Amino acid sequence: MFAAIDLHIDIKTAPMFHIGEFAVTNAMLTGTVSLIVFIAIFGYVAKMLKTGKYNRFVGLVQWAFEGMLSQIDSVIPNKKIARSIAPLALTIFFYVLISYWMSVLPGLDSIKYDGNPVLRSIAADMNFTFALAFISLIATQFYAIRAHGGIGNLKRYFRNPFKDFIGAFEGILELIGEISRYSALSLRLFGNCFAGEVLLLIMSVLTGYFAVMTLPVFMAFELFIGFIQAYVFFVLTIIFTSLATESHGPHPEHSAVKSSKKMVAAE
Amino acid sequence: MPDKILHTLVNATGYFGSGAEVKADEQSNVFSALGIDWQMLLFQVIGFSVLVFVMAKYIYPIFMKVVDERQAKIEESVKAADEAKQMADKAEADVQKVLTKARREASDIVSTAKLEASNAISAAEEKAKSRAEKIVASGHEQIKKDIQVAKQALHNETLELIAQATESIAKVKLDKDSDAVLVNDAVKGAAK
Repeated sequence: MFAAIDLHIDIKTAPMFHIGEFAVTNAMLTGTVSLIVFIAIFGYVAKMLKTGKYNRFVGLVQWAFEGMLSQIDSVIPNKKIARSIAPLALTIFFYVLISYWMSVLPGLDSIKYDGNPVLRSIAADMNFTFALAFISLIATQFYAIRAHGGIGNLKRYFRNPFKDFIGAFEGILELIGEISRYSALSLRLFGNCFAGEVLLLIMSVLTGYFAVMTLPVFMAFELFIGFIQAYVFFVLTIIFTSLATESHGPHPEHSAVKSSKKMVAAE
Repeated sequence: MPDKILHTLVNATGYFGSGAEVKADEQSNVFSALGIDWQMLLFQVIGFSVLVFVMAKYIYPIFMKVVDERQAKIEESVKAADEAKQMADKAEADVQKVLTKARREASDIVSTAKLEASNAISAAEEKAKSRAEKIVASGHEQIKKDIQVAKQALHNETLELIAQATESIAKVKLDKDSDAVLVNDAVKGAAK
């Protein structure tokens, strides 16, 4: 039974067609669908809110939005910064959630074009997860510079080793940590989404005709994992922003240690 | 079959073997093996940034306005509820104060009324007693007068009877003076 199965698992996304020299991949296509769904949902709800019409769906989306916004407000004490970072964090959460849930769509490996699967969640494309991490990093640095000033922000990483040797070492660690934590963030999202797709594929192969019974369980599991991953990316983005913008007080070296501990606890 | 799946997975990564789907030049490049393409990465960064900008500019403000309005309403309601509670507490305190004052006044009024009633009763009793005494004294006076009158009447009647009796015995017509002398003598004799 299994001998006839040709599993196509590739860590790279597959190009569907080219626009000039630019390859449009299967993840980009699914990502575009996610984008349309995302904009349609929020556009519809925004229109309904503007006209003052409510229904259960509007209430649900508004409830989710308000919940996420209150999370941002509770993590970042400065309301101005919280409201500035909110669009990025909220877009990350909702777009990643919708994109991740796209990986649960039926026809994951069965719908093919030119030998490549058409459906692949954009969250299972490392370009996308790295892009998200890069944008988060830039945003965090932007708000850190606004909070501490350019020099003040640089002092978080570079300190005079002759005055404060341990502090200088901690600064270097902080710089490495700044890059590694965003890399970890993107790899975590990619790894979970890609592994989820592979898991669904393998379960469908291993269980054969019983897949109709087993797959819904794993699909529900994937929906849950999708929510968790979107939430983790969202909450870590706002935590990193909060840590980068918080005041260090008179003893920056101690605050840096405290911040590192907080970050470890958060991760 | 599991071997085939494992083989497919291992080939897919491009790290562990020379899969047919992985080009030879990609094996030496980690980023390429992971599917990271700088052009694609830049496209994703720009695309997502535009999405964030559009959402921040046109969609989220509507949501945030609703959230802020609701928050303001909630804060206003909480404030109003606090104020109402304070007013209710104050009103309750005022009511308690008024009640206490009213109770004290009522107690004073009751005690005053009791005192006044007691005085009135005492006065009434005093008045009734004096009136009763007056009535009794008047009664006594009247009885004395009546006795006196009765005595006088009895005296006169007795004199009349004696005169009649004497007259019938002596067969002598006595005038008033002699009659009186005889009667008086008779009375004295009777008294002895």
